[in-house]
Amino acid sequence: MNIQKVVVIGAGTMGSGIAQWFAQEMCYVELIDNSSEQLQKALSSIHSSWDKLVEKEKLTSCKVSQMKKFLEIKSVENISKDADLVIEAIIENLEVKKELFKKLDQHFEPHTIFASNTSSFPIELMAEVVTKTRKERFLGLHFFNPAPIMKLVEVIKGRDSAPKICEDLYQWFESRKKMPAMCKDSPGFIVNRVARNFYGEPLRIVETEDEVKMKEVDSILKTVGGFKMGPFELMDLIGIDVNYSVTCSVWEAYDKEPRFAPHTLQKKMVDEKRFGRKVKHGFYKYD
Amino acid sequence: MGFISMTNVFFDDLVINFGFGTKEEKKSFLRSHENKSVYMDLTCYDPAEFYAEFPQLKGVFAALFCDENKKIEMHFKERSEAVLQRLNEFGFSPIETTILSCGFIFPRTIVQIINEAYFALEEGVAGKEDINRAMKFGVNYPKGPFEWSLGKELYVKTLLQELFEKTQDPRYLPCKLL
Repeated sequence: MNIQKVVVIGAGTMGSGIAQWFAQEMCYVELIDNSSEQLQKALSSIHSSWDKLVEKEKLTSCKVSQMKKFLEIKSVENISKDADLVIEAIIENLEVKKELFKKLDQHFEPHTIFASNTSSFPIELMAEVVTKTRKERFLGLHFFNPAPIMKLVEVIKGRDSAPKICEDLYQWFESRKKMPAMCKDSPGFIVNRVARNFYGEPLRIVETEDEVKMKEVDSILKTVGGFKMGPFELMDLIGIDVNYSVTCSVWEAYDKEPRFAPHTLQKKMVDEKRFGRKVKHGFYKYD
Repeated sequence: MGFISMTNVFFDDLVINFGFGTKEEKKSFLRSHENKSVYMDLTCYDPAEFYAEFPQLKGVFAALFCDENKKIEMHFKERSEAVLQRLNEFGFSPIETTILSCGFIFPRTIVQIINEAYFALEEGVAGKEDINRAMKFGVNYPKGPFEWSLGKELYVKTLLQELFEKTQDPRYLPCKLL
C-alpha cells in the first residue's frame, strides 16, 4: 500500500495530532477545518512542538523544515481530490459525520480510502451514506491521544470494508512503527471496552467517597499492578464527565450489560460538576 | 508463573500457607491448625469471611497474580515482623493494605479486565495478540490481559465465581472461554 497524501478533517486535539504524525512520516497532509482560527492554532501548536524537539536535539532543523513542508492547512472549499486516505476527526455527532461523508464521497476520487477516528459510533452507520464501491474502502482508524506519541491505532473493519484494505493499512502502520490492532466494528472497539473495569471495579471496591481508600487503591494498582496511574487519578485526568459518558455509551450499546454498568458515584460527581483536574476537583482536590 | 498448589512453611508457632486451594481446602487447613497463628494466601477469596470464622488467621495476602516485581498485597490482623521477613526471604515484597475486599485490590481489578478480554475474544472482536497490543499501547497497561492470565485461568475463574457468589451481581459471571 502506498499512502502519500492524507487529508485530515477536524483540527481539534485528535485531528491535529493525527496530522502531525502523518507529516512526521513524510506523507503530504492537508489539515482541514471549518474554522480558520482553529486551523492556525493547530498549525502553530504542531510547529511549536517540532521546534521544541529541535531544541532538545531529538530532531534536526533540516528534518523539521522538511516536515513543515509536508503539512498544509486548508479550508473546506480547497481540499484536493486525489488523497490516498481521508481521516475524519470532527465532533462526535453521527448526523454531522454522515453529512460530511456524503459530501466527501462525491468530492474524492474513487481510490481514496475513507476512515473515521470515532470512538463512539459504528463504522457501518457512517458508511451507509457512501456509494457501494466506497463502502469497501471505508473503515475505522481509531488513534489515541496524544496521537504522535501513542503507538496504538485500532483498525476497525466495518461490515462492508474490504479485508485486503484493512490488512494493507495494518501492515502500513506497522511498517511505520505504530502498533495497529485489528478489530471488529463493535461498541468501544477493544480499548474502550476492555478498559471499563479498570475504573468500574475500583469504584466498587471503595463504594463510597473515601479519599484514604481511593489513595490506597491508586497506590496498590501502581505498585503491585505496575499501572502508570491509579484509576482515580486517571479518571480525574481524563475528566469524570468524559469517562462517565464513555461508560454509559458502552453500557447502552451492550443493552445495559451489568459488566459495563456505571457506578452511582460517577453520576453523583458529574451531577455535582466535579469533573476532575480541569475544574480542580474530582476524586481529589487540586490547587 | 503457572499453577501454584498449597505449600506450607512452619516456624515457631507460626505457619504461612502459600498457593492455590479450593475454599474448602483453605478452611480445612485452618481447622487443622487451631493452635497456630496462620498467615494465608487468600487471593481468590474474601479475607473478611475467613477472619470472622477463624480467629487463628492473623494475616492474609494475595500472591497468585504476583508479577516479576514480586510485590504482593498483604493485610495484617496481627502484624508479624517474622512473617514479613520470611516472605522477603521467599522473594516477595509485601505491600500492606488496610482494605479488606474479596479478591483484594489488584487481583479483583485484573480478573475483571481479563474476563472482559475473554468476552471480546469470544465475540470475535479481535484476537488475543491484538487485544494484548491494544491495551499495552493504547492505555499503557504493563501487560496485555492474556499475558496476565497465562497459566492463571483457574485463579481468574475461581475469583470471579467467588465475587458472584458474594454479590449475586451478574457482572462477575465468568466468560465460558475461561
